[in-house]
Amino acid sequence: MDYSAEVERRFDSPAGAGNVAGSGPGIAIGEAEDRVLNVWVRFEVQVDGDTIREARFRAYGCPHTIAAASWTAESLRGAPVSALERLDIEGLQRVLNVPKEKLGKLLRIEDAVRACGEQLSGGASGRRVEG
Amino acid sequence: MTRRPIYLDHAATTPVDPAVAAEMMRCVGPDGPFANPSSSHAMGRAAARVVERARRVVAARIGADPAGLVFTSGATEANNLAIKGVIAAAPADCRHLVTTRIEHKSVLDTAAAVERDGGAVTYVGCDAAGLVSPDEIERAIRPDTALVSVMRVNNETGMIQPIAAIAEICRSRGVPLHVDAAQAAGRLPLDVRRDGLALCSLTAHKIGGPKGVGALWIRDGVAIAPLLHGGEQQRGLRPGTLPTHQIAGMGKAFELADPAEEGPRLAALRARLWSALERIDGVRLNGDPERAAPHILNVAFPGVDGEALRFALREIAVSAGSACMSDNPEASHVLSAMGLTDAAATASIRFSVGRTTTADDVDEAAARVADEVERLRRLALGAPAWCSAWRSARLTDGPVFG
Repeated sequence: MDYSAEVERRFDSPAGAGNVAGSGPGIAIGEAEDRVLNVWVRFEVQVDGDTIREARFRAYGCPHTIAAASWTAESLRGAPVSALERLDIEGLQRVLNVPKEKLGKLLRIEDAVRACGEQLSGGASGRRVEG
Repeated sequence: MTRRPIYLDHAATTPVDPAVAAEMMRCVGPDGPFANPSSSHAMGRAAARVVERARRVVAARIGADPAGLVFTSGATEANNLAIKGVIAAAPADCRHLVTTRIEHKSVLDTAAAVERDGGAVTYVGCDAAGLVSPDEIERAIRPDTALVSVMRVNNETGMIQPIAAIAEICRSRGVPLHVDAAQAAGRLPLDVRRDGLALCSLTAHKIGGPKGVGALWIRDGVAIAPLLHGGEQQRGLRPGTLPTHQIAGMGKAFELADPAEEGPRLAALRARLWSALERIDGVRLNGDPERAAPHILNVAFPGVDGEALRFALREIAVSAGSACMSDNPEASHVLSAMGLTDAAATASIRFSVGRTTTADDVDEAAARVADEVERLRRLALGAPAWCSAWRSARLTDGPVFG
């Protein structure tokens, strides 16, 4: 398996890993997992008005999954809350040079991010299970 | 971050020993025995003497008669020749092969080819420690069985198979036994005649010899057909100009690889490595340490993704299962046969020590493995039980930046 320099960098130093400090209103947690794909991701976001102030992740999975979660957490920081509705999967795939067969893992990252958004809007439980 | 590379993949291949390289170089220049060993002129006879000397050395290391050795391109070809050759030479209604589910792919894929060609194959399993039962081999033998093929040392787990007991069964049933000894030669004492083998596959590059050369020892009287045609070299069983320098290198490698000297040193390094790794929460040794070859250690690291762990340890040369399978994301067929789940099998790593391995290598590798396992587990803190069932109360949040 070949890994891009960006995957290598983010895997070795996964910026955005960890938990959002504190608790209370404006913080949402979204999880997604797929046992078949051997992937679990959790995102925590803290919003202030219409802006995502902080985004953090935890992940179990391959180097591409960890790098993609790191890239996503960083790109969410400072973005409008609407960014939680849909990830730019193609952009993510391109930036990290993720092989096609791992697309399903990126979709689980999107699921976890969306679950954060749904929780903020008072909707779902914030947890999605596939596979 | 680039760190000192550490080579712990000696079961995959080994660096050529300087003495072997020197012996090979002596054979390739214009002043050396470079001529065709099959030629009748003086220079050809000089090359033939080099080949015959190597043949005697290799044979002596495995307790064999030199005349029974056929040089090949390696153990894969030797396994092909042994299995296809014996099956092809058997009567048409006696083309049944008994082998095991944990053989190297060069045996399993050859067995599949036998089936495609109309032969029959029975695959015997193993127990949770990766050991084949002689009783199961006995039950698998049929009146039409032409060959039993079982490896001496498993290339993924290092488990030493009970070859003497299997050979006794084969002898009593009148079935020849082929043993793939690619991982055993030079690391364990081998005596093909004492052990009652009919055929034995060898390779040079696992013990400091060059890649591209191996041998099949065939007991006198075993019926076998060649795979290749085109000359009378090596009794017509393996035609083609003999590669003098490769064979000389194999001879030197077998001369240097004395199990009585190397075995205890390798076993001590292996024990040192396990002693350090077993301090990591939840790790499990795949196999039975009392039945292991001295150079291989296969360890499962639950709670981390196998691909992630291998990438994290990319400066340490190790294998996921056998090197021939390392790009294959599927779980190892050997570990699966031992009953490991896919997750545990893919999160398993084979470490293998060799002549150039030092205690410092082992200590540093173990420390790096422990650091990376903990880092990846921290990254997954809060994960559901299916990927963190190993979980210990000792793990707390902390840096995940490596």
